[in-house]
Amino acid sequence: MDFSFTEEQQMLRDTITRFLGKAYTFDTRQKLVSSEQPWSPDVWNILVEMGLTELPFSEKAGGLGGSIVDIVSVAEPFGEYLLIEPYLSSILLAGKALELGENDISRSWLQKIISGKAIGAFAHEEGKGTATTALVEFTAKDTDDGYMLNGEKRLVLGGGEADILVVSVRKSGRAGDTGGIALMLVDPKAEGIEINAFQTIDGRSAAHIKIDNVMVPATHLLSEDAYEALSAIIENASIALCAEAVGIMRALLNITNEYTATRKQFGVPIASFQAIAHRLSDMKIAFTKAQATLYYTTALAEAGRTTSRDIAIMKGQIGKLGRAIGEGAIQSHGGVGMTDELIVSHHHKRLIAIDAMFGDSEYHLRKVGLN
Amino acid sequence: MDINFNVDLITFRDEVAAFLDSAPTDSIREAGRKVTSAFSDFDNAVEWQAILNEKGWAAPSWPKEYGGTGWSVEQRFIFSEEYCKRDLPPLLPNSLLMVGPLLIDLGTAEQKAKYLPRILSGEDYWTQGYSEPNAGSDLASLSCRAVRDGDDYIITGSKIWTTLAHRANRMFMLVRTNDQGKKQQGITFLLLDRTDYPGMDIRPITGLDGFPEQCEVFFDNVRVPQSGRVGEENDGWAVAKHLLKHERGGGAKSPTLRRWIERIREAADMTPSPHGGTLLEDPVFQRDLGGLEADIMSLEHFEKLVISGHEMANDPAYPSINKTISTELAQRVSVLMTQVSGIEGLSLELEALKIGSTVKPLGSEFDLVAMPFYLNSRATTIYGGTNEVQRDLIARSL
Repeated sequence: MDFSFTEEQQMLRDTITRFLGKAYTFDTRQKLVSSEQPWSPDVWNILVEMGLTELPFSEKAGGLGGSIVDIVSVAEPFGEYLLIEPYLSSILLAGKALELGENDISRSWLQKIISGKAIGAFAHEEGKGTATTALVEFTAKDTDDGYMLNGEKRLVLGGGEADILVVSVRKSGRAGDTGGIALMLVDPKAEGIEINAFQTIDGRSAAHIKIDNVMVPATHLLSEDAYEALSAIIENASIALCAEAVGIMRALLNITNEYTATRKQFGVPIASFQAIAHRLSDMKIAFTKAQATLYYTTALAEAGRTTSRDIAIMKGQIGKLGRAIGEGAIQSHGGVGMTDELIVSHHHKRLIAIDAMFGDSEYHLRKVGLN
Repeated sequence: MDINFNVDLITFRDEVAAFLDSAPTDSIREAGRKVTSAFSDFDNAVEWQAILNEKGWAAPSWPKEYGGTGWSVEQRFIFSEEYCKRDLPPLLPNSLLMVGPLLIDLGTAEQKAKYLPRILSGEDYWTQGYSEPNAGSDLASLSCRAVRDGDDYIITGSKIWTTLAHRANRMFMLVRTNDQGKKQQGITFLLLDRTDYPGMDIRPITGLDGFPEQCEVFFDNVRVPQSGRVGEENDGWAVAKHLLKHERGGGAKSPTLRRWIERIREAADMTPSPHGGTLLEDPVFQRDLGGLEADIMSLEHFEKLVISGHEMANDPAYPSINKTISTELAQRVSVLMTQVSGIEGLSLELEALKIGSTVKPLGSEFDLVAMPFYLNSRATTIYGGTNEVQRDLIARSL
């Protein structure tokens, strides 16, 4: 057994961390979040140049054939620096779904996405229990001219900026059936598509998307009987999200430790009070559990041995532990922890968002208890 | 990263499984099923240890030269998994996991030769004399005194929470040998060859679960030889801290906890829920069980990272983190057990809990052990340094 990063992975991680430490300071990031831009095209280009957008794809698909461990090694610093660039949405979700396609259209979109010339978005969530992937209701009706799409997708990350959408659809059966689910390419500019873009609490752009009688050609079918493939994409994305969360938790633990060691009340550093020391200790314990579960699950995934139960344990634990660490960090900081100007509150909001996506901790932990 | 064990351990697992299936007597199995404490039934634990020692498996973690197995950490984890799956009684920890490893690390050649073989065989059982009525969390303030007299020490004072002292034939203890300077600097670590020296008085303390697991030991001018000292005089605090590391960090706890979860699942599957269906079908129960189980899995992941040599193992707070997580999980397990057993757990059945008892439990075996296990497990966050002390240590290491 080995749960460490290789030297190469460690180097990549160090490179990203150094780059973000210089180019993605909290101030820079906050200016970006409050600007008109959804993210920084410059930063995105640099990530492309570093090869990160090629990383998760097979060499056949024009990628570097990187592993889930590679992704985790960089996702932790992404979390720590609160990177808002569309790595999850365009690369790990839309890109990985496009990799399933076998025709020129999907290949060409994937090339554009990998090279940073296009942005993809992944429209799966419907807001009605789609943490259980099979609950997709969005319909695609098979017709002589292609597929007729109808339905609504919620919280499509980068949905307002996407050049291409990958949509999970139901071709047959009813919500809850694992059969009859497919993945389809949709042009976001097509008539009948209403994109309602907004910013999330964690500084990202997202959109609710309504699709009303939109026809797409049969060649836009990426993957039929896609339940397994869709689940695998979401599971891998969940590992990356959890890695972001662990990067955040580590940062919050360090920041809070430093703050409580310097902040004085009653003439002494507040860390000298046992109530504060024990909360810090609980944060450290929570971080220890979260990190161990992340690395263990990552190693399982690299060996191709994760079950949905392993993912549920990871996502459930990290959602729950992340929230506890975030809330502990805010409480330890007192009033300033409540402000927008401290990174702590932004770290916390990202943790909350990560918990909510792809099924929150309550959902996953009950799933663990179910079987 | 690599999730696989470094060598193929399937054959090893099979060998362990075959032995653990055949070697224990019925009485030992019964003792395993009726475990309600970190300390299993004394006589059966000792008998089982002798059987394991015949096979060379009494002390998996000891180095081979001292009678250990020479197993890798992975092999030890597998042994522990197979052991726990079968509900076998845990071996008593004081000798094998505390004073034994301490002597291996710090004992003299004579001490090792004299004590280690008898620890392995179970002929000797050691009780731990650390706490005193006025020295609990603040252990270094202990006042049980040893004064030099010729080749001996004369001990006066008392020790408390000396687990199973009434069954032990030897004792390791901390005594005060100097009042000057820092209180940590006047402590000496002693090995006592007997627990029936003239002037020694052992009084069992009945616990809240109805069993006399703990004792108080009184010393009235008890004469013991100086040769039983480990380390230098007044240097016992370092020795004690070394031993505490074994007490807090030693051995994987997740296999036992996972087995308890299985037993809870089995029991909940047979227990009707007041909301209809079985308890196992109740969504709230599923959430509680799943939350606890996922937390236990995180402990397992942590333990596996540590045995793989991940840098998390080098964290100075590791023993405290491990102790805190595993004991609080054990308590949560015990709470869930009493929730499943409900009113069936309210009957006081001390006779039925005894091994070999002819008194049958009033309900299921699960219901029989749930409440005493719950009550006894309140101790886990108190012994070995309270979890408040552990949290102080964790915070200090940040």
